[in-house]
Amino acid sequence: MDEIIKIENVSKIYKTGTTKVEAVRKLNLSVKKGEFIAIMGPSGSGKSTSMNLIGSLDLPTEGKIFLDGKDISHLNESALSQIRGKKIGFIFQQFNLIPNLTAKENVALPMLFQGISSKKREKRASELLKMLGLKERMNSYPNQLSGGEQQRVAIARALANDPEVILADEPTGNLDSKNGKIVLDFLKSLNKKGKTIILVTHDQNLAKYAEKIFWLRDGKIEKVTSNKK
Amino acid sequence: MIGKEIVLYSLRNIWKRRARSFLTILSIFIGITTIFVLVSFGLGLYFYVNELTTSSSADKVLIQPKGLSPAGLDTTFKLTDDDLRAVKRAAGVYDATGIYLKPAEVKQGGKLKYVFLISYDPKKPLIMELSNIGIVKGKELKKGDEGKVVLGYSYMFPGRIFPRPFYLNDLIEVQGKKLKVIGFFGEVGNPQDDSQIYIINDFIDELYPGNNTYNWIIAKVDIGNIETVIENIEKSLRKSRNLEKGEEDFFVQSFNDLIETYSQILNVIIGFVILIAFISVVVSAINTSNTMITSVLERVREIGVIKSIGAKNSDVFKLFLFESGFLGFVGGLIGVDFGLFLTWIAKIILKNLGYGFLAPHYSPSLFLGCILFATLTGAVSGVVPAIRASKIKPANALRYE
Repeated sequence: MDEIIKIENVSKIYKTGTTKVEAVRKLNLSVKKGEFIAIMGPSGSGKSTSMNLIGSLDLPTEGKIFLDGKDISHLNESALSQIRGKKIGFIFQQFNLIPNLTAKENVALPMLFQGISSKKREKRASELLKMLGLKERMNSYPNQLSGGEQQRVAIARALANDPEVILADEPTGNLDSKNGKIVLDFLKSLNKKGKTIILVTHDQNLAKYAEKIFWLRDGKIEKVTSNKK
Repeated sequence: MIGKEIVLYSLRNIWKRRARSFLTILSIFIGITTIFVLVSFGLGLYFYVNELTTSSSADKVLIQPKGLSPAGLDTTFKLTDDDLRAVKRAAGVYDATGIYLKPAEVKQGGKLKYVFLISYDPKKPLIMELSNIGIVKGKELKKGDEGKVVLGYSYMFPGRIFPRPFYLNDLIEVQGKKLKVIGFFGEVGNPQDDSQIYIINDFIDELYPGNNTYNWIIAKVDIGNIETVIENIEKSLRKSRNLEKGEEDFFVQSFNDLIETYSQILNVIIGFVILIAFISVVVSAINTSNTMITSVLERVREIGVIKSIGAKNSDVFKLFLFESGFLGFVGGLIGVDFGLFLTWIAKIILKNLGYGFLAPHYSPSLFLGCILFATLTGAVSGVVPAIRASKIKPANALRYE
């Protein structure tokens, strides 16, 4: 299998005044196409920074990041946005839906930034929402939806541009166990259809869904374990 | 990319923060209304002044006193028949006539009013060629019309000068003598001109006993050499009045130059007033900028989300620019409508007060210009906040609470 994401000797240093904080240190990590991996670690372990770097939301201070074979560590912000919108779908703990847009409009938004026509956007957004069992909620605003429904809209949005990678940051953190299971089962089914899933979490119960777990501590990978049966 | 979702997103944001949006729009529309009102009245005045200078006024030259007092009230300055002859003698002058302008006591019943009386030679009605105003009722003055008078427009209406209107063949008491009304002039549009009364020069000594002298001389001249003719008249008058060059107590000016002088002064005043209106727009721009900065700060997290799903910096920039431009556009639209309403009311009020010449002039470019200007002002005010929004780093923004 090809590597979809490869992180080579990546460090990220934050400067606050005169103090330097090294959030990740000489990180090496690679994810193959179609894998389901988890990045685990307690808070302060560099999990969020790793996720930002993998998701191309942030650039490394040192090292290289390859996305689908392309070095993205020196791209400008616009190029990065373009790649991010096309190749990576994000799912956040707080759902992060745009409050002033309906479910359908939220799902259509990533396609707008890829220059897809309004007609196609609407068609695909409807299809995705139907697939996630939200046919009746398409024209509802986020504040009219339950947490579980909001997260399913967010999943539909993450899938809008048919990205190769789904990056889920504590996706069940704000959900009850029932809705949490629905979300994880859906991620698993996406993985079966060939999508690469990266799950960032501190919850060991979620990790069982992943084939491979990267354990992070103090900005470094402490160990890598495998769940393969 | 400005697509349907972005437009809806912006519009709903404006609506969600409607109290603040309303105040922002209010500040823009007040500025635009002010500009609209001032420019439309300014244009109206400009066209009015332009209408005064017609082809029939282009060949007229006016000789007037240089003093500061209004014509007719300056008792030290006198233009005599000798001066009139001197003007006529000047090369390039085809004809010339003397005009008297007198304050007149006019009575209706027990009511007394002071107005201006103009006296002219009916065989040489050069003064009538200067204005476009003709007789609207009755007839003009002719030679031999001693004891007769033509009245200004306002005398036909009750309450404007006297409680009761005058009709043809009525008698009106002027300077203690009863004169017969034989005609009325059309509307000039300002209270002074419309309250004037007109008699013939042959009758002036009877109405104003004593030595009467002209207040103006109007000359009809060779239009091709009007500057040279003016110099000729000045030379000829200096000789007849026994004055050295530089000592003139009169000045000779072509009618169109005179109007030009007025319109230049007018332009300066209008320009100054519009400048003040622009300041109010600048204030509204600062206000819009403030609104947009607040709006950016409130939406840092949303900006992070939008960027994480693929929005480029330029997309975020356009989004905020669209929002502030839209605020400006709405402000402009309301401003123009409100301005139209105000000028419409002002026009009616001014007309009833006898200031019909103060009428707004509307042109499509005024409407479009005001709306475009408001939109641009809004957009420009949004530039700095929009740049700020576009530079927000997604990783930081997503962590922002």
